[in-house]
Amino acid sequence: MTPTRETFGNIPLSSQLAFYALAMVAMGIFCWGVWRRWKLWQLGTPIDFRGLITGNLAAVWQKIRPGARRVAVDAVAQQRVRGHGLGTVAHLSLYLGFMALLAGTTLLELDNILSHISPALKFHHGLYYVVYEFTLDVLGLFFILGTILFFVRRLSKPAALGHRATDWYVLWSFLAMGITGYQVEGLRIVWQQPVGLAAHCSPVGLWIAGWFAGWSEAEARSAHFAVWWIHAFLVFGFIASIPFTRLFHFIAGPMNLFLAQPSLGVLPVVTMAEVEQTGRVGVGDIRHFSVQELLSLDACMECGRCEEVCPAFATAKPLSPKRVVQDLKSLMETTAADLAAGRKETRALHTETIQAETLWSCTACSACVNVCPVRIDQLKFIVHLRRHLVAEGGLSGTAATALRRMQSNANPWGLPPAERANWTEGLTVKTTS
Amino acid sequence: MSTAPAVPAAPTVKENPSFELLYWIGCAAAYDRRAQRVARAVVKLLNHAKVNFAILGREEKCTGDSARRLGDEFLFQELATANIATLAHYNVKRIVAHCPHCVNALLRDYAPFGGQYEVVHHTQLLASLIKEGRLPAVPGAVAPPPGEVTYHDPCYLARVNGIHEAPREVLQTALGGGSLCEMKRNRTGTSCCGAGGGRMWMEEDPKHRVSTERAKEALDTGAKTVAVGCPFCLTMMTDGVAAHGSEARVLDVAELLVEKLGL
Repeated sequence: MTPTRETFGNIPLSSQLAFYALAMVAMGIFCWGVWRRWKLWQLGTPIDFRGLITGNLAAVWQKIRPGARRVAVDAVAQQRVRGHGLGTVAHLSLYLGFMALLAGTTLLELDNILSHISPALKFHHGLYYVVYEFTLDVLGLFFILGTILFFVRRLSKPAALGHRATDWYVLWSFLAMGITGYQVEGLRIVWQQPVGLAAHCSPVGLWIAGWFAGWSEAEARSAHFAVWWIHAFLVFGFIASIPFTRLFHFIAGPMNLFLAQPSLGVLPVVTMAEVEQTGRVGVGDIRHFSVQELLSLDACMECGRCEEVCPAFATAKPLSPKRVVQDLKSLMETTAADLAAGRKETRALHTETIQAETLWSCTACSACVNVCPVRIDQLKFIVHLRRHLVAEGGLSGTAATALRRMQSNANPWGLPPAERANWTEGLTVKTTS
Repeated sequence: MSTAPAVPAAPTVKENPSFELLYWIGCAAAYDRRAQRVARAVVKLLNHAKVNFAILGREEKCTGDSARRLGDEFLFQELATANIATLAHYNVKRIVAHCPHCVNALLRDYAPFGGQYEVVHHTQLLASLIKEGRLPAVPGAVAPPPGEVTYHDPCYLARVNGIHEAPREVLQTALGGGSLCEMKRNRTGTSCCGAGGGRMWMEEDPKHRVSTERAKEALDTGAKTVAVGCPFCLTMMTDGVAAHGSEARVLDVAELLVEKLGL
């Protein structure tokens, strides 16, 4: 007999229908949640999404290639997650397990849809089935291992790691999803009694089946049915919670990687024409940031890498790049809520949200920009905000003096331009033969 | 006893109109007494290697790097536009600078305003002059015991522009093949001296200085000499080393090479 298993085996039609109905509810909540965040980003100045997809195929590809490359290298291949010890190992493990299980579930559903078109189109059997079962069975362990490592990381409380109560819900639900997934597998083996390759292609499932040795088929079937539902509810809860928890980085992370221009050493240009049109320099209101910049705030996982490398933070200055991002994100949320409630007065960006001292503490060293796994540009935010302060005359003291000297004498020391080459005096060319 | 040289050691673009390379001095080496020694060291090396170069002299202005990063975009643009016009007037194509902030400004900040040049850091030029045999081997070089010298990567050189091997190659030559003792945070993972983003021009509480932290990391390697590749790092690391009461020397890579070559 070809190794295979029945899709929805042991699950009555009524439960199958309820399963799809609940799946639609979960997806609906997911889409609504994503749409809410999308609306939040629209507070910002528009970016040219349409421009990305106009022109012929070659022109479009030219425009989207750098972004597509960043998504492929930084997100799919996890390049920017590397280099952070336990956090990296935990993420790679969980990512690998999760992506495998997501791909597996998608393939299974595809097979299910095809079977309704024609039983001949079914592919979930034979050698494919053996490879499928074995791969998912093993990679599921990485899913659980990654979750456990994230528990360890969160319990060990690294100083720079941000925390929300929902983080525990996410981790517990991941652990429960992993364990119930294997239990469903083990119980299915108990009642189905596969033999040979069909049993051994799921080594972990087979081992779990050993826990239920001596159970009758009826007992195994009813337990399988119950755990299958628990597992399904956990998965629906997970899908629905993505836009409302840290899991939202699934969406905002790759989106930001696609849209954000890598910017080490580069700053956006402000033109006189722009200033005449908008009547402002820099950013004095959360709505002056671009849609992409606001979106990048949602990509922040508070992993704390930026804070750990910040020289200002390390020397007791009132600056943490992570805090700046999180404070701007909170302002984005409250501003949207205030506007929706018809309030004209929203919390001010400068002083009420971000202090001038915070902004002046930055050395523009770009360490934060360089380590951010999702390419948030903390320095660009800071320079946008500094531009506003400078335009408002908010810079005083020695730095303001240096700027005045640059203006008058073209050097920050304010020394006479005529003395600029005085350092060459007394230098001679050695005439060697 | 001074004899007036027939040729100026650092000719201006007017004195040497057929120059092939422009040496961009930057404000620090133009006015800061300590940083001036870096420019003088570079000039000695350029002349020794018979590089056909010139300087802008009085016509050079601040690149505007710190103005831009402090948030004064229009002051930056004013300075950039003036410099770009001067560089165009003298038909400058290739530039060497010993200041990573000038390198970054000329290379990245000026491009959107029409200033496009081939820009190298002095350590890159020195490394290629060494490879071409245009600078001699260090005479009687005995490799110092490992751990004598460490190198602090400037942010705008290593992290922002990816230039971290050239200075090490030059140092290796200066040390007669000896090896550096690396700080924990090096190359693109370097940590700031505290001068960037206009912080050079601000007051900082002596109890919590970025430079003191970074100097500690340098001194923890046990090095007696801290090599740098940026005039602002030079100031900051000198202050930082002094804050620890250490007698370690802080030198630019070019100064160390000149010292070892006996120029």
